[in-house]
Amino acid sequence: MKIVIRDLEIWYNSIKALSNISLEIVDGELTFVIGPNGAGKSTLLKAISLIVPPKWGVIYIDGRDVKLYSVRELAKTIAYVAPHISRSIPSTVLDYLMTARYPYTSFLQFKEDKTDLEVIDKVSRQMNIIHLLNRRLDQLSSGELQRVVIARALTQQPKIILLDEPSAFLDLRYRLEILEHIKNITRTENLITIIAIHDLYLASLYADKIILLSNGSIAACGNVEEVLKEEVIERIYGVRVELLEVKGKRIILPVEPLTLSTPQQNT
Amino acid sequence: MALELYRISMRRFLTVFSSLSIVLLFMFVLSLSVGSTMVNPIEVFNKLLHSLIYKAVNTLGIPHVLKPVIETDRVYSVATLRLGRTIAAISTGALLGVAGLLMQTATRNPLAEPYILGLSSTALTTIAIGIILVPNIMIHKWALTTIAFIGALLGFVLTILLSRLAGGTSISLVLSGIAINALFSGISHTLLYVVQNTIRMHYVFLLMGSTSTILLNDTIFLILPFAAGTTASLLLFKILNTFLYGDEYAKQFGYSPSLVLIIISAIASVLTASTVATVGIVGFVGLAAPHISRLLVGTDHRFSLPITAMIGAMITTIADVVVRIISLLSAGLGELPLGVITSTIGAPFLAYLIIKRMKGHEDSY
Ligand SMILES: Nc1ncnc2c1ncn2[C@@H]1O[C@H](COP(=O)(O)OP(=O)(O)OP(=O)(O)O)[C@@H](O)[C@H]1O
Ligand SMILES: [Mg+2]
Repeated sequence: MKIVIRDLEIWYNSIKALSNISLEIVDGELTFVIGPNGAGKSTLLKAISLIVPPKWGVIYIDGRDVKLYSVRELAKTIAYVAPHISRSIPSTVLDYLMTARYPYTSFLQFKEDKTDLEVIDKVSRQMNIIHLLNRRLDQLSSGELQRVVIARALTQQPKIILLDEPSAFLDLRYRLEILEHIKNITRTENLITIIAIHDLYLASLYADKIILLSNGSIAACGNVEEVLKEEVIERIYGVRVELLEVKGKRIILPVEPLTLSTPQQNT
Repeated sequence: MALELYRISMRRFLTVFSSLSIVLLFMFVLSLSVGSTMVNPIEVFNKLLHSLIYKAVNTLGIPHVLKPVIETDRVYSVATLRLGRTIAAISTGALLGVAGLLMQTATRNPLAEPYILGLSSTALTTIAIGIILVPNIMIHKWALTTIAFIGALLGFVLTILLSRLAGGTSISLVLSGIAINALFSGISHTLLYVVQNTIRMHYVFLLMGSTSTILLNDTIFLILPFAAGTTASLLLFKILNTFLYGDEYAKQFGYSPSLVLIIISAIASVLTASTVATVGIVGFVGLAAPHISRLLVGTDHRFSLPITAMIGAMITTIADVVVRIISLLSAGLGELPLGVITSTIGAPFLAYLIIKRMKGHEDSY
């Protein structure tokens, strides 16, 4: 499986969010999207999951234009995990996870299938939320909720998983544990996994490929060594960084904001 | 674990459903028995059951030795006289409950309700305009319902637009609803006062809703929209369930948020319009019923839709009985409108929800 993006351009009314995006993303790899606030990371993920329509350009999944996929096919193929979900009328965690199986059931099926519930069971154990299934969404801690929304994506059993800021609220252990798990299933089930993240440390630990966005276009793209370079990060983020070597991996450490040259403004 | 929890919620639904059915039957019989002429509810129940069985075996052609119910029997005739208003009260509550639930899901706002968001008043306004333009429209109930539908839908759209201008938070939606409601209450009051002679009833009854003048034949204008609207909503339960978690979430399952919002609003408007056209404005039922139902069976619409309908029905049936008891006790002139009772119960409930909400975090929708 492969995603090919050609000359993608996205506008929100009069705001240009992405331009000139051409990419190829392959399966079995973790692709990380990084970049400053407002660079277009979320927009890129939403474009791939067809939540926002492109103004120009085409997205191909397995050589076929995504617009030619049926909605059911797409729902079985792609899961986008937003950093927030609406909880103003809070359901239970189980009710939430059950909706993730809808692409696999007929529209009018009223009774839940045993196999669907078993998938929920399996994923809930992996994400360690099995004890939360009966809890209401507004009664969870931020980190618990984050595991629940990731569990939703895995319950959907998609071929393409798009995670938007999956680690922001997780504690040290869960950050590693969940990314480790995502890496494993990406490898074993040949998924395409794209993760938008601010934590460059996690990116350097887990990324097979990194896409660095700045002001709506690709500033750098490649493997960790190619993208996480001192001068690139300093230029795009406007921070002074230091490089560390940990277990044979290059780790970027932000030290202080640069005051000499002002960082690039997003307008 | 998941399977077990699912079975438990299924069982809970069935338990709640059957308990509420019994309570509702009890209230139905009670409502037939209470009024200016009191009759014994147990007798009413026996006679009704008897006549039902008699009619059933007769139409099925089974040979039997049952005696027909004497139509002039005092208990039987008094009870059947109240059949129309009782069915009207039950359906009004069920309609408004389901309408409220749909509106709460569509706006993801637990404070949404046909009266609070102004749909009832705009429906009444278009009815009043209809009566002024075509005075004999009162006898064409379907036309009246259609006009009310247009009004309700316009009201919903107006409120949502106004609230989006005001930032689209849950409280701005309620405030916009109150503004629309106040404006169109004023307009409809005035218009209905002017045409009082044409409608040949005290206009207050339309403003605050009353079942006292409803005949058994009229109940079809409530029962049919209820059957259609609730069936449609039940068929859409997956869309409604995903809609709770946000527009982007629903979109991932292929449900276009704007299209879904239009469909749900249209169904909610049909449900509201039929009550306004036949009974008048009955407020707050659509607020309380979905909340109680979610407490009992959760947010899954397969479960919450039927339970909301039953709880709505119970609220209005009790209110309708209370109306009659008050008029008996005060030996007064005529009856209080039904909506007075539901507002008296419902408004404190709204206050409670607002307090609970303002203390918590403020979600936009
Ligand atoms: N719904 C929207 N309407 C209008 N403009 C938007 C909308 N969503 C995003 N934008 C704009 O598009 C640009 C890219 O936004 P995007 O959310 O993709 O950034 P991001 O890289 O995910 O940032 P962050 O790190 O803050 O999450 C920003 O300039 C943002 O202001
Ligand atoms: Mg973002």
